[in-house]
Amino acid sequence: MHNVIAFTVFGVDWEFFKPYIVLGLALGGAYALSGVGIVVLYQATGVLNLAFGAVGAAGALICYWILNHTSWPGAVAYASCIAFGAICTFVYGVLLGPAFARRDPLVKMMGTLALALILLGFMAWRAPAGGAFNRVLTLPTSKHRFELAGAVVNWTQVLTLVFAVVLTFGTALFLRHTNLGTAYRAIATDREITATLGVPVRRVEASAWLGSGVVCGTAGLLLADLFTTLDYAALTFLVISSLAAALIGRLRSLTATLIGGLTVGVVQAVLTPYESLTQYRTAAPFVLSIIALLWMGRHREVVFSKTAR
Amino acid sequence: MTPRTLNREVTVRAAVIAALLAVALFVPPAMLGGDWITTLTSVAIYSVVAAGLVVLYGKVGMISLGQVGLLAIGTWTATRLHYLLDLPYPLLMLATGAITCAVGVLIGLPALRLSGLYLALITLMGAGAIDVVLHTLDFPNGGGGFSGHQGIIDPASLQTVQRPSWGTGDTAFYRYVVVICALLFLVALAHFVSKPGRAWAAIRESEPAALAAGVNITLYKMWAFALASFMTGVAGCLLASHFGNPTVGSFPREQSLTLIATALIGGIFTLWGAVIAGVFMMLVPFILQTQWNVDSNWLLIIFGAGLLQVLLTAPGGIAQQLPKDLANLGRLLARPFRRRPSAPEGSA
Repeated sequence: MHNVIAFTVFGVDWEFFKPYIVLGLALGGAYALSGVGIVVLYQATGVLNLAFGAVGAAGALICYWILNHTSWPGAVAYASCIAFGAICTFVYGVLLGPAFARRDPLVKMMGTLALALILLGFMAWRAPAGGAFNRVLTLPTSKHRFELAGAVVNWTQVLTLVFAVVLTFGTALFLRHTNLGTAYRAIATDREITATLGVPVRRVEASAWLGSGVVCGTAGLLLADLFTTLDYAALTFLVISSLAAALIGRLRSLTATLIGGLTVGVVQAVLTPYESLTQYRTAAPFVLSIIALLWMGRHREVVFSKTAR
Repeated sequence: MTPRTLNREVTVRAAVIAALLAVALFVPPAMLGGDWITTLTSVAIYSVVAAGLVVLYGKVGMISLGQVGLLAIGTWTATRLHYLLDLPYPLLMLATGAITCAVGVLIGLPALRLSGLYLALITLMGAGAIDVVLHTLDFPNGGGGFSGHQGIIDPASLQTVQRPSWGTGDTAFYRYVVVICALLFLVALAHFVSKPGRAWAAIRESEPAALAAGVNITLYKMWAFALASFMTGVAGCLLASHFGNPTVGSFPREQSLTLIATALIGGIFTLWGAVIAGVFMMLVPFILQTQWNVDSNWLLIIFGAGLLQVLLTAPGGIAQQLPKDLANLGRLLARPFRRRPSAPEGSA
């Protein structure tokens, strides 16, 4: 491994890192995808959805069940994962969103923690992990592979990255150029004033929950495939890694979230060849988001109102 | 309330607590089997961890989602120190508490700049990083170096983490743990009713107002983190002795979620809530699984629902809601028996 270190100190050896960067971009695409879903919902409703991973994992388990225990076509299974993500998130948002609307962002986040616990309980009860077999959810796109820059890539990875990029820029355009998007931005600035101006605040928020739920279901499906085994606990806690992308975007900027997600993925993958660091590479999202948080908090502010926190 | 009645109230309260402590020390060992005693030991240990959250969130308003990570650090440190040095047990506890305290203050440093949501997130990220590091280092089992971990276990070097000399048996250790936990609760209580408690209350209500009143916010925030981490560290040391050979698997990731849920459900503003949290976290799953043969994963669902209820309607949790509800119930039951107030004479 010494030669690797020598190369990087005296000039980066791109040839060596190419395959890792390619793999890192695919992983980063998945982080960015979830990150964008989290940021849009946070901007529109003030809720940082920690149940994002749990909902996706539950959707993926439903998809797995349909694929393996029924004779329904695959498309129904994949659609049901996305539909579950959308319905579950939407129902939570419509039922409990208004109750939490005036509360502190911290309390709103704890509410989604409760949803995550409930889903974790259901998943642990109905689909206990471990045991004799591992659940594997393979999308049809994963069967087609090709070589890119020395790394074997499948179409799911390409799809994830493309979807992340399209989602980021699509959402940015949507926020800027549509009436609904303008309403989102208005609510993000001040919910009360937006309501006074005649915007149906609750309906707009419900649409944000629905949209975020669709992203959540899709991310669950893609991540379940990317992580080879369908482990609901791992998928649930993957939301913490995805949060890193959202935090690098300061929970505000979609482009920065995309870049953040890709950076986290690439850093994590590039650490793989270093013997002494490879086991710590999964800590990359945490370390990067801690740095991002410290950077965000570098100016000390005295906050006078509790709701502003 | 005159000072005299206040004094009487305090005396009654102290007497009730002493009586409950005596019951906890002597009744379960006389009536219950060995597995109950080991479970109750965990209840006591985890209630101290929850008490750390009471200090941080209930008293100062700083949320930490990384307390289980800190507990794991305490357990790791105690195990490492056990293999490294031959310390008497109280010193081992103090040393573990001090080291965990240092780590906790380090994690708490950003709290000076961040509050609310962002502090919760940074502690969550810290816990995630701790989890990865502990999975890599693994728990010490008699090896050399910093980690003290050896891949191939040499049976000669494997020991169980020491227990106090007069608490080697399970029952004796249970009593020892209960006494230590009671002492830690007393330390926390002493903080609540004196100067730090008042400063914390001021910070919780309004940081600018506390600043204006001359409260040293930096000092008292760090103090809260130091106290909570010290308590968690000592709990980690007790947990190391309780397990004997702790492993990474002893700290499942969802435990940080269940800890915060049970602490809020039990009641985040009082130490009673911490005891209830310990019971919910350790005793209830045990009863469900071994006594009633119910899948304890149901509990996660109930914790989730309970957390929602606490957040929406009962911020004080069970510790504050139950006495209120019982009083209401008592009033409701007593109504038929109460004499109706007779109409004042001559009102017509």
